[in-house]
Amino acid sequence: MALNIKVGPIGALDMLKFKNQVKKRNQIIDSTTPAPLPEEYGTNARARALHPKAQTLLVKEVRQHQPDVKSYLLGREDGEPTAYFRAGQYLSVRLSIGGSEITRPYSISSAPQLALQGNYWITVKRTSPGFASDYILENWQEGTAVNVSGPEGEFYYEPLRDAKTVIGLAGGSGITPFLSMAYAIRDAAEDFNLTVLYGSRTKEDILFADEFAAIEKECPKVHLVNVLSDEEKEGMEHGFLTASLIQKYAGEEPFSVFACGPSAMYHFLDTELPKLNLEQKYIRRELLGAEKQPWTLPGYPTDKKDQIFQLTVKYVGNEKVIEASANEPVLVAIERAGIAAPSHCRSGECGYCHSRLVSGEVYIPEVSDGRRAADKEYGYIHPCASYPISDLVIELPGVY
Amino acid sequence: MLTYDVVVVGAGNAGMSAACKLAMSGQKTLLIEQHNLPGGCATSFRRGRFEFETSLHELCDYGPASDPGDVRLLLKDYGINVKFLEVPDTFRVISTARSGREIDAAMPVGQKAFIDKMEEYVPGSRASMEDFFTLGDECNAATIYINQSNGSPDSEYMKKHFPNFLRTAAHTTNKVLDALKMPRDAQDILNTYWSYLGVDTERLTFMHYAAMVHKYVTRSAYIPELTSHGLSLAFIDRFQQLGGEVWFNTKVEKVLFENGAVSGVSTTQGDVAAKHVILNCNPHTAYATMLPKEVIPEREIRLANARTHSARAFVLYLGLNKTAEQLGLTDYSIFMPPTMDTAKAYQALSSLETNDYIISLCYNIVNPKASPEGTCMLSFTTFYSDEVWKDISPENYVNTKNQIASRMIDKFERKTGVKLRDYIEEAEVATPWTFARYINTPQGTMYGYETNEWDSMMARLMSLNTDYPIPGLKFAGAHGPRGDGYSSTYICGELIARLTLKDMAEEAK
Repeated sequence: MALNIKVGPIGALDMLKFKNQVKKRNQIIDSTTPAPLPEEYGTNARARALHPKAQTLLVKEVRQHQPDVKSYLLGREDGEPTAYFRAGQYLSVRLSIGGSEITRPYSISSAPQLALQGNYWITVKRTSPGFASDYILENWQEGTAVNVSGPEGEFYYEPLRDAKTVIGLAGGSGITPFLSMAYAIRDAAEDFNLTVLYGSRTKEDILFADEFAAIEKECPKVHLVNVLSDEEKEGMEHGFLTASLIQKYAGEEPFSVFACGPSAMYHFLDTELPKLNLEQKYIRRELLGAEKQPWTLPGYPTDKKDQIFQLTVKYVGNEKVIEASANEPVLVAIERAGIAAPSHCRSGECGYCHSRLVSGEVYIPEVSDGRRAADKEYGYIHPCASYPISDLVIELPGVY
Repeated sequence: MLTYDVVVVGAGNAGMSAACKLAMSGQKTLLIEQHNLPGGCATSFRRGRFEFETSLHELCDYGPASDPGDVRLLLKDYGINVKFLEVPDTFRVISTARSGREIDAAMPVGQKAFIDKMEEYVPGSRASMEDFFTLGDECNAATIYINQSNGSPDSEYMKKHFPNFLRTAAHTTNKVLDALKMPRDAQDILNTYWSYLGVDTERLTFMHYAAMVHKYVTRSAYIPELTSHGLSLAFIDRFQQLGGEVWFNTKVEKVLFENGAVSGVSTTQGDVAAKHVILNCNPHTAYATMLPKEVIPEREIRLANARTHSARAFVLYLGLNKTAEQLGLTDYSIFMPPTMDTAKAYQALSSLETNDYIISLCYNIVNPKASPEGTCMLSFTTFYSDEVWKDISPENYVNTKNQIASRMIDKFERKTGVKLRDYIEEAEVATPWTFARYINTPQGTMYGYETNEWDSMMARLMSLNTDYPIPGLKFAGAHGPRGDGYSSTYICGELIARLTLKDMAEEAK
């Protein structure tokens, strides 16, 4: 080899330096303190506080809005802060009901600042059928211990991405994330202009009217417009959340649309929003939830409707064989069997239930297929948004 | 109690690689991961219609089929078949050289093209660049030899076959480049990749840096078509085919001992028995929280205390509603350090205010299908050399993230002339908190310990038989002998599994 490198004054010493690497390293190690290593680091403690795997809270107060709607103040017993959040995020509530182990996502309606005092408000409205909402409305009272996740979800204002003005489209209890956003703007925790178009049937159905009125008085960046479908009232819009109504309140500046409400509202918006010619980046939708009538969706093999299949569930060294209906997401069958499968969004998006489909076939609606490209390649599914259409073997990513 | 031959704790790159090797060798192996996904940093996430690569910039040791790198060979050996795409160039660097000269250099792949281009930017650099690659050849061959020797290389063999390697390996990068009489501006361009190893070239040993640059230039960089999440799923898929078992969402809380030897692990899903445990977690974490104090030799604590945690990453991910072509993006990776004086640039990484480093990546340049038609994706990465994120309060967290993200976008727009602001459809930020959340390393670090002069890759490899002496317990990961990086951690996992198999064979005698 022609190359003959010399580093340092005397080339011969270099070989020695190579040999001495270990000796030098050992000298440094031997001269270092054997003091105990830290058990905790600031960064890790911050991360855990912001993203706890679970939070055990108590119901501290119950507020009845309407016969079928209550709000619950959930807080830490010791008054320490609960996990901070971005207005619009939700908590996944874990429930054990008659042998079923289930979760439900509920938007936080309170100010992010309230978490610093260890509290969140959530609102529960009876749905039909309402397995979880029935249970909560009937059983939760002051002092009930409640197990929730950390704050989850991406339905929040993001200044890098969204227009400075947000038109919120709310239906029913879908008003709750917007109330949190309104508080965040009032408290200067977040900075944008928020106009909420809030659709209700009648004036009686409106939630949080006083809260919004108080915020609007204090904070000119927040506006609430009630839109009633079934009656006409002074000072309120009549009709539905149409494109022209949005345009009327949006003004001339660029705006983002944030929508949160029942599936009927989303279906309506599917035909209205395109009329606004907005770029996709200006439209955000909160979780859709699992489709209750999958057979109405494109691609569903309708001959499978009402069929019951055998579902083998594997998890951390266990195996259980249960039944699963083609009409329900795989996750529901697993929960009903009392297996505490992990889940958060229940809409196919967040991937927390990411599981391996060992064998069998499922139907996955395109609209709620939040899988990564490689998941499809290697046979992974999100059981919360997958419907069994044959016998299945599935491997869960552990249990709670 | 469930009993296994080996339990691997952590399904990061090194953990998955070790698990595959053990299962291939017929060991009953359990792989336990605290998160619900495999890969650790090697994963991806969805936002809207985009799927973002979390951490992989480019694999340096894959190589073309005609000249395979160690990772290509390792995957082949494991029976893992994943589609990779070649990165067309090495890097573009925009910054100020130590000489004060403003540099904007786009460097190609291939030794000859790279040397020619360097001569164009820095006339008079040719001879020293040619020497650099000749030396790089030798460094690579020597590294492979040392890796295969399980930490006990034969010194006579080394002297005979790798004399230049022995002369230069223990010196710092800059010292050797000076000895090669490489013009400073050429050194500065060549040193662009230093941040991938987390240590400036005043302290990083030459052989470590040269081996990496040599591979990137000679064999090209590669990325998996389906992101590193695809690569991680491929590892898990193969491991399961080989009879391995994986538990996700399960945290190993303690390593169990009986009579001073490993007897299993205690997990959030119950205890598991095994005489061998490989920890794909940081030794600091293990020694402080997972092992009984009495089994840890004092030297191990001294070693841990002597080391410096390396590289806390901050990444901004952007999904843009225009194509790379429409926006005028032409480069896969652009390095924009505040200065090409690597020691000064490293210094600047120590605070939120002075950190002005960016590596930008546009995945669509390599993989046109990386995002939906009409869109593209960009990421911006920087690192912190100190635990500065611990002082931020939860209320100020989002604003802090967004200020830094905004500064990155401004700098990128200024330096490249490409406008991004109006086209951002999705934006997400990962900070050291995010990495702490998902991989739970001390301070959210990604690179293990700094591979500085005294704790270099070579010094670690030669200390394989003295570091981590607890019977039945081994460590694999970025903190390990090969240092950080995807290639290094896959290879490290294989090496540690091999050493475990060797121990098992000796016990069986």
